[in-house]
Amino acid sequence: MNRRLLSFGMMFLVIGCMSFGMYRIAQAAQLTVKVAHIKSAPAGLDDPVWKNIQAVSISMEGRDALSGRKETMAAKAAYTDTDIFLLFKWKDPTRSVTKQSWIFNGINWKHLPGDEDRLAILFEITRISKFATRGCAVTCHSPPELSKDQWVLATKNAPEMGDLWHWKAARSDPYKYADDSWLTIPGLLGEYDPNKQSGRRSDAGSGGDIKNEVADKSKPRYMPGPTRSGGDSGVLPAEDAVEITDYTIFKPGDVLTYRMPRKPAGSRADISAVSRYQDGGWILMLYRKLNTGHDDDVIFDPKKQYSFAMGLFDDAGDDHSKATEPLTLKFLKSDRNY
Amino acid sequence: MKNSENMSQGLLKLLALDHAVDFLKNTTISSDALTWKRVCGSIATVLVILLFLSGAFMALYYSPYPGAAYDSVQYAEFDLPFGDVIRGIHHWSWNLLLVVMLLHMTRTFFTGAYKPPREMVWVSGVLLLLVVPLAIITGDLLPWTQAGYWTTRVRVSIISSVPVIGPFMVDLLQGGPRTGIVALTRFYVLHVIFLPAGIISLLALHFYFLRLKGLADPIMPSRLPKRNIALLPDMINRWLILFIVVTLAIGIATRFWFAVPYGDPADPSDSRFVPKPEWWVLFLNQLVSIFKGPFTIVGSAVIPGALAGLLLVLPFISRSPERRPVRRWKEILVAMLIAAAILGLSVMSWIEHFTSTVA
Repeated sequence: MNRRLLSFGMMFLVIGCMSFGMYRIAQAAQLTVKVAHIKSAPAGLDDPVWKNIQAVSISMEGRDALSGRKETMAAKAAYTDTDIFLLFKWKDPTRSVTKQSWIFNGINWKHLPGDEDRLAILFEITRISKFATRGCAVTCHSPPELSKDQWVLATKNAPEMGDLWHWKAARSDPYKYADDSWLTIPGLLGEYDPNKQSGRRSDAGSGGDIKNEVADKSKPRYMPGPTRSGGDSGVLPAEDAVEITDYTIFKPGDVLTYRMPRKPAGSRADISAVSRYQDGGWILMLYRKLNTGHDDDVIFDPKKQYSFAMGLFDDAGDDHSKATEPLTLKFLKSDRNY
Repeated sequence: MKNSENMSQGLLKLLALDHAVDFLKNTTISSDALTWKRVCGSIATVLVILLFLSGAFMALYYSPYPGAAYDSVQYAEFDLPFGDVIRGIHHWSWNLLLVVMLLHMTRTFFTGAYKPPREMVWVSGVLLLLVVPLAIITGDLLPWTQAGYWTTRVRVSIISSVPVIGPFMVDLLQGGPRTGIVALTRFYVLHVIFLPAGIISLLALHFYFLRLKGLADPIMPSRLPKRNIALLPDMINRWLILFIVVTLAIGIATRFWFAVPYGDPADPSDSRFVPKPEWWVLFLNQLVSIFKGPFTIVGSAVIPGALAGLLLVLPFISRSPERRPVRRWKEILVAMLIAAAILGLSVMSWIEHFTSTVA
């Protein structure tokens, strides 16, 4: 009887070992950001939980005007039962948050040359054909047979929808969020440039920014009021601005914000952000509900994995970026907490 | 008690199943069939049933169209209760089925149970072993993943390299040179209709010959008296218990530890994707790598075909009634050399595909 049991046990051991071998063999080899399960939300960028989570090094390559330039970004990801947290760290020798601020030279108002640092992340809300293998090449840098000025940031078919997270150092960070928008087929409905075809649509709600300029665009229209609600970035939020009634109060060298961020609300404010510029680089944490309940957002189900791609914009107001290859976001099981 | 018996008898009669049940009750087999040594055959039967049931469930939600196949599989897996468990059961069952069938065949070979008068039991078993991989091959394409698509492309190119019949086979399989909607539809039909029909037929044949010729006696005669047991309920109850145990084991394993790996949706224009062979085709893959150019056919058809042929004709060339392995050492040695070659080729292929640096 014992011998029978032994041989039976051995047989199952062999089958078990082979099964494990199969499992290992079947694993896909691609750059994956693993999302670790944590019990409670990290308090911020310095929360000890981040030290226990392995960072993934993501290569970014310059596109268009930045062709040939490379960047490496470290990414970590975690989730609780309700929220997802993404932590990014990248080198950037210049902290760009001015976004063409106004400067007064004693006679005229001019725009300062500096622009803005940004990070854009694109997920699929519904399947975007070939996004998983081509990433942003099928939405941002397309169609490849046309010249760049004819490219449209959009999907190819109406059922294809993307979720675009856009963290902007000057226009969203003062309110500690990343602008939440979504991507569909091209149209003229884009608020970004009403004359240009675009598939970008802001999520429901409010946010974005207002240009601080008079009708002839020769000088700013607003100045800081007595209150400050938009953080400590030095940027003037629209809610804190008051109309300038007397331009003689300004002296040479005075600087005023040009793009004033507006307080976000609704689905557009789903993605919260915490950032810090330190030691010549940015550290940024983005977090959001796994399921916001909004149709214009991707729903994260920890059982699934998600394709995404990112673009990094350094002191840029245009779409010249360093972008990643398509990446995969994979949730680790919740039985191991960090 | 008596009333319920009468009711069930009445119901069986009403459904005209009473004769079938009587037949099963009156069918007897050697009690040797219940020993652990022969459990692989029972597990294989159970796994085939599990594959059919889980496959039938998945077919309810599957859409054989390239633009929808991937998402339909994802929907069934993640949005339906226990969808991941059912897909896991389907996925791991065929892996285990191959392992169990190989163990079953190995035991049959070592004990000489394939020898006359059980030639056709062996032949039907070998045919089953050849048909199951076809079901796996056709099933690989269905989720329309990068791995499934490009693995199929590699397989199709290997098939097309076979002179004369190769291009015809490719045309038959996928309706032309492209692996697109026609290919997906044909693979689906093969996977859910023709190949299951083939497996059921071969399984029926296997059992028919087994019943006709009986189980092979143990090599070492047992001291216990030989007795017969009824197929119903003894053997069928055993299968039911095994069915529950195997289902629970695979279901729990896939739910908690071994989720079915899945990749990106297929992108036929992304030729950068290099598929990696599954464990059971590693040696075939290596053969194809070794024999190149005009010799491709040797690796893709001649050697695998010869191996399959050798397995099929084994009971007809090994006619000696001697079953003890020590007295059949030449036969055993040849088999072990072939097994070692297959293992060696598999290891080589594994090293080539799985130990190189990944980007």
